[in-house]
Amino acid sequence: MDRGRVERVFDALGDPGRRSLVVAVASRGTATATELAAELPVTRQAVAKQLVSLADAGLLRARRAGRETRYEVTPEPLGDAVAWMVDVGAEWDDRLARLGRAITDRAGR
Amino acid sequence: MQIEREIVVPASPDEVWEALTDPELLEEWFANDVELDPRPGGEGVFRWDDGEERRAVVREAEPGERLVLDWEDDGDVVLELDEVDGGTRVHVVETAPDWSAALELHALAWTAVA
Repeated sequence: MDRGRVERVFDALGDPGRRSLVVAVASRGTATATELAAELPVTRQAVAKQLVSLADAGLLRARRAGRETRYEVTPEPLGDAVAWMVDVGAEWDDRLARLGRAITDRAGR
Repeated sequence: MQIEREIVVPASPDEVWEALTDPELLEEWFANDVELDPRPGGEGVFRWDDGEERRAVVREAEPGERLVLDWEDDGDVVLELDEVDGGTRVHVVETAPDWSAALELHALAWTAVA
C-alpha cells in the first residue's frame, strides 16, 4: 500500500477550508472555482488555489471546461485511508495471534 | 486515524516484555528478521520474508509496562501491558501520521457518503 499517498491526503485534509471544499465539490458532483466562491465567504482566487492543491493530492480530478476548470471528487484516496485501517488492523490481528501462540507454547514447555 | 487491538496471554508482564523486546522472540511473532535495541533512542529494524523492511526508533521503554516505537516511514505504535486474571493484557495502538486530521477525515468520509 502507498503510505506516501495516504500522507498527502492527510496533509491536504488537515486544513478545515480544504475539507469543506471537498465536501462542497462532493455534494455538487462537479464544481468550478467560480461556482464555489459564489457560495463561500472566500475569493475565487483563494478557492482556485485550494482546488489545485486538492487535485495535486489526488482528492479531486480536474477537467478543462471552456475557460474554467471543473473539479470532481476522486474516491480512491479516501479508500486508501480506509485501506490503511483494514491492512494495519489485519497485521496486528495476525501478530497478536502468533504472540499468543508463542507464549502459550513456551508456557507448555 | 488509529487502530487498536488487545489480547490476553497466559504469562506475566515480565515474560511478555521479553517477547516484545528480545529480537529472537520477536522473530516468532512480529517479523521474520529483527534487530532491536529496546532502550529509549535505540533502533529497530524489522524485515519480512516478502521483502518488506521497516525501521523504528524506541521512544519509550518501561519494562513490563509500556513500549513505544516511532516508525521511520510514518506513525507510531504503543504497546501497553497490564497484569490481569489469567495473565497479561497486551494493548496495541498504531497511529497513522496525522491522526487529528484523520479523525476528521473519518467524519468527512461519512459526510461524503451521506
